[in-house]
Amino acid sequence: MNDKITVGIADMKMAQGSGILITYALGSCIGLCFHDPRLKLGALLHIMLPLNMETGRKNPMKYADTGIRETLRQMEAKGASKSRIIVKIAGGAKMFEVNGGNLGNIGQRNIESVHLILRKEGLRLAAEDVGGTVARTLLFDVVSGQGCIRSYGRQEVLF
Amino acid sequence: MELKSFDQLSSLEIDTLREIGSIGTGNAATALSQMIGKEVRITLPEVRIMGYNEAIEWIGGPEQVTAGVLVGMSGQMSGLMLSVQKLGFINLVLEQMLGNPIEDYHQLDELGKSTLVEVGNIMISTFINALSGLSNISVNLTVPAFAVDMQGAILSVPMAAYGGMSDYLMTIGGNFVCEEEQVPCRLLLSPDLGSLNFLLKKLGVAE
Repeated sequence: MNDKITVGIADMKMAQGSGILITYALGSCIGLCFHDPRLKLGALLHIMLPLNMETGRKNPMKYADTGIRETLRQMEAKGASKSRIIVKIAGGAKMFEVNGGNLGNIGQRNIESVHLILRKEGLRLAAEDVGGTVARTLLFDVVSGQGCIRSYGRQEVLF
Repeated sequence: MELKSFDQLSSLEIDTLREIGSIGTGNAATALSQMIGKEVRITLPEVRIMGYNEAIEWIGGPEQVTAGVLVGMSGQMSGLMLSVQKLGFINLVLEQMLGNPIEDYHQLDELGKSTLVEVGNIMISTFINALSGLSNISVNLTVPAFAVDMQGAILSVPMAAYGGMSDYLMTIGGNFVCEEEQVPCRLLLSPDLGSLNFLLKKLGVAE
């Protein structure tokens, strides 16, 4: 695993033919792996919030709805087809158990929003590791489509 | 002018916030000093306005594990306050208060955790009390919550809470120094934008 490409928060990176995409420390955020096996094309998206309600919409990758659609658009521009694309997701944890206050459960809302948008776009969700209270680092091999999740105090999960 | 984003703060406003940070952190240091029975000083507090990924590099990388105590603010001002506690700080507290330091976060038992929550809570409350007294704003605090995990994920909590308003994270805070050594503990205050405007107006520096 050498040529790793890091995906930041509210960011998306794409690679084709070879490469590992990695995004660190997903808390309530969600990491989405998009894979088109025929083209060996993969994209990793790191979203932070469920719905884009910003006026300027300067940063589409921050939100589940605009992030997923923009990623799809860029993958389709490279020849990917919605019918082949397989999606795997991880994240959406609840880092702190806060009673009261206005924090809410952003992780849960992110999971629900991602599910909804994927269904609306007709994309296949092949695997997920979501919810709970642990942070996750997500690695994704764009050739095989294999995902791997590292957490603190938990065994690595392959999916 | 109402601020619409954290990066619009003027230098006068930033100076004022730094002063708040200085007084708040100073009070928290006194509280810590009383709890552990050692002298604690502070370094010059900073006001930082950072992009998300910049903030994570600043705190020392995403995957490093740390403990965090989180308190929510409501009332006339809303926001979050986070106390990021690294191993050096944890051991300073545990050694002085319980007499049994740890080598790894896995060794934290219930007593250790609740000690850290309480120390974090007292430091945060002291900070907010100072802010509240200075600005004449009444603030209610939630019960503290505790987590041990990757610091990137812990820091993403205030980011996600205010991510819909701004692409930047604003934090006010300083470092503690005990016996000539930097104590790896940070108090980070992240108000929401509306509350920040209100605070600056109350302090008489809003333009």
